[in-house]
Amino acid sequence: MTAEAGDLRARQPKAIHSALTVLEEVARCGAGVTARQVSDNLGLPRATAYRLLNLLVQDEYLVRMPDLRGFALGRKVVELAQLVAPARPPEAVRTVLTDLRARIRGGVHLVRYDREGPRIIDPDPDFPPTGASGGAPLRTSAMGRLLLAERTLPDGRHTGDPAYTDPLTATAAAEAGAELRSLGFARQFDAFSAGSGCLAVPIRDRDGTLVAGLCLAAPTARIEQPGDHLLLLQQAALTLAPLLA
Amino acid sequence: MSATGMSALERAIVDPQPVAGIEARSPVDGLNRRSVGFLDVLAQSVSAVAPSAAATTMPLLVAMVAGGATVWALLAAMLLALLVATTVNQFTRRIAATGSLYTFVAHGLGTTASFVTGVALLVGYGFVAMFALGGAGYYLAIVASRFWPALAGTVLVPVLLIVLMAAGCLYLLVRGIRVSTRATLLVECASVVIILGLVVALLVMQGPSLDWSVLNLAGAEPADFAVGAAIALTAFVGFESSATLGVEARRPYATIPRAVTWTVIGSGLLYLLAAFSQLVGFASVGGSITGSSSPVNDLSAAYGVDALGLLLDGGIAASFLACAIASITALVRVLFSMGREGLVTSAFGRSHPRHRTPYFAILVTVPVLTAALIGTILLAGGVWPAMQILIVGAAGGYITAYILTCVAAPVFLWRIGELTLWPLVRAAAATVLLSAVLVVYIGVEATSTRSAGVWVFLAVLAAGTAYAAVRHRRRPWLRNVVGIYDVPVTGDVLGTMGLEDRAAP
Repeated sequence: MTAEAGDLRARQPKAIHSALTVLEEVARCGAGVTARQVSDNLGLPRATAYRLLNLLVQDEYLVRMPDLRGFALGRKVVELAQLVAPARPPEAVRTVLTDLRARIRGGVHLVRYDREGPRIIDPDPDFPPTGASGGAPLRTSAMGRLLLAERTLPDGRHTGDPAYTDPLTATAAAEAGAELRSLGFARQFDAFSAGSGCLAVPIRDRDGTLVAGLCLAAPTARIEQPGDHLLLLQQAALTLAPLLA
Repeated sequence: MSATGMSALERAIVDPQPVAGIEARSPVDGLNRRSVGFLDVLAQSVSAVAPSAAATTMPLLVAMVAGGATVWALLAAMLLALLVATTVNQFTRRIAATGSLYTFVAHGLGTTASFVTGVALLVGYGFVAMFALGGAGYYLAIVASRFWPALAGTVLVPVLLIVLMAAGCLYLLVRGIRVSTRATLLVECASVVIILGLVVALLVMQGPSLDWSVLNLAGAEPADFAVGAAIALTAFVGFESSATLGVEARRPYATIPRAVTWTVIGSGLLYLLAAFSQLVGFASVGGSITGSSSPVNDLSAAYGVDALGLLLDGGIAASFLACAIASITALVRVLFSMGREGLVTSAFGRSHPRHRTPYFAILVTVPVLTAALIGTILLAGGVWPAMQILIVGAAGGYITAYILTCVAAPVFLWRIGELTLWPLVRAAAATVLLSAVLVVYIGVEATSTRSAGVWVFLAVLAAGTAYAAVRHRRRPWLRNVVGIYDVPVTGDVLGTMGLEDRAAP
């Protein structure tokens, strides 16, 4: 409907961000959370929170519970899943990966970086990733450390959000930053299973921004001395860059 | 972003948690749920207001009391109607129901106030339906007498036309909500186009030398202005009627508030334009609008476009017919809600298995209204006098229901913990102004030739409320069921898919 498109333009992306924050809060609190709770939890002004909630009910991303006070996620949020769930990478990318996996012993995973952090968009079918996806902190995985390193300046300051001020994360970020500058990749040992580790090679767009990463999961010895494997990974990263950027 | 990697929203989508308390069927199940779009919802509200019929008659009625302040009185009425509309929308954004204001008040003020509102609303919809059906018959009879002069002067012709149209309404209403809203949309669009064409033609003929002095407030008494605004408000009543489509509308929390607001704005602008053009038109031919019994027809004749009068009469008849269909649509849905709750016999809560319409309420309502209309016509001695009486009663019913809704809105918002300052201020202002309008209106009409309308309205309101009170005493559990509305069902809520089999009847 044209009116909706008009609303979207008029209220600008900030409103969209607030709306997603409200959705996230309802998801976090679970079905039955009231408008006042959402407003208090997010520190939003009452009138703003109520208006956002009612707009989300209008568009059916939220539903009002039968008691008229509580809210729950509507079936329509599944449509958002297309935005949050990783899309299957293009065939050109998958061909490169298949070729790479045939020449490397170990798990080769393709990771994409966006506002939400790293996300494995093409896991190795023969060696499924262990714990690096999902709930693990960024500082434990190679793909997470690559992101931390990327956001750490040489003097140790970071450009990320306040989550990086956690001391463990800050230490890991500085360490990973140094590794990235000297080795050209990020790595971890023994984080998810003893005796094995992982390295993550950056894939950058033309401006040098980190858009994706190629991860190799293998025994600790091979991660310490990647040798020819590193060359293969770096070549593949160059091939993939224009396909993913 | 936090280091958890996955947001709560993503987790909820990937792995929905079960939500308790969601049933597979809504208590107002049986209607064609989520089947009509914004245009149909808008058509319902617009048709119930019948803007083209009001645009031709209302400037005259307002001018008779407000004189030079006519346009300003209409503007004041439009602003008050907007105030009421935004307050009604506090409910329509949160509750999807078929009982409209009757259901809304139940959630703010409880059962007793809800009964009074329900009866007032039934009076409003019922009397307007009769008024509009009578008006359609009246204007069609005028059209017929242009072709066959022998038909003029007899009351039999409009009565026969009324019976025929009532049968048509009955068929359309049972046949399905989509069929009836589409029919009214078509009819209403045609009549608005005709009236707009006439208004523009009138203004164009005036040329650049428009007589702006008609907007001059000098000489207008504040009391006359108030009475004029009160009468002008009656040209807006019905704008809330799309709220009865809460179950049948798609995205009801978005489409209904929008339809309610835009109906007020659209018809208000049409009235302002029509009033201005008629006043200017009369000023330039040296006459006065108040000296005319049918201003637009007289103006057409004065400007030598008599044929337009025929088109206009046809357009007004069409607008009245659409108004009758829309008002009965709303009326039967309020009855449907009352039937489901047990306030009236439960047969009213039956829906047609195939067409998914409240067919029992329709089958009872249409003949009763038609018979009552014909009775009124015979008693009042003509179609026009009968219409005058009916419209007074209808306005009283609507405004009473609006007042109770405006009182209920802040209480409801407070109950669900969503009360903020501006809705409270708007509701309070609307309550005070509407109460003043009701007192002024009843006072003016009680001393007019239409006083019968005031007494009939008060009598029906009292009788209906007494009936509801008796019914309530015999069935104390009504306290807990009155106010049913459409609740989310398993298909609407994330995390209820797996429960569907268990909850199915």
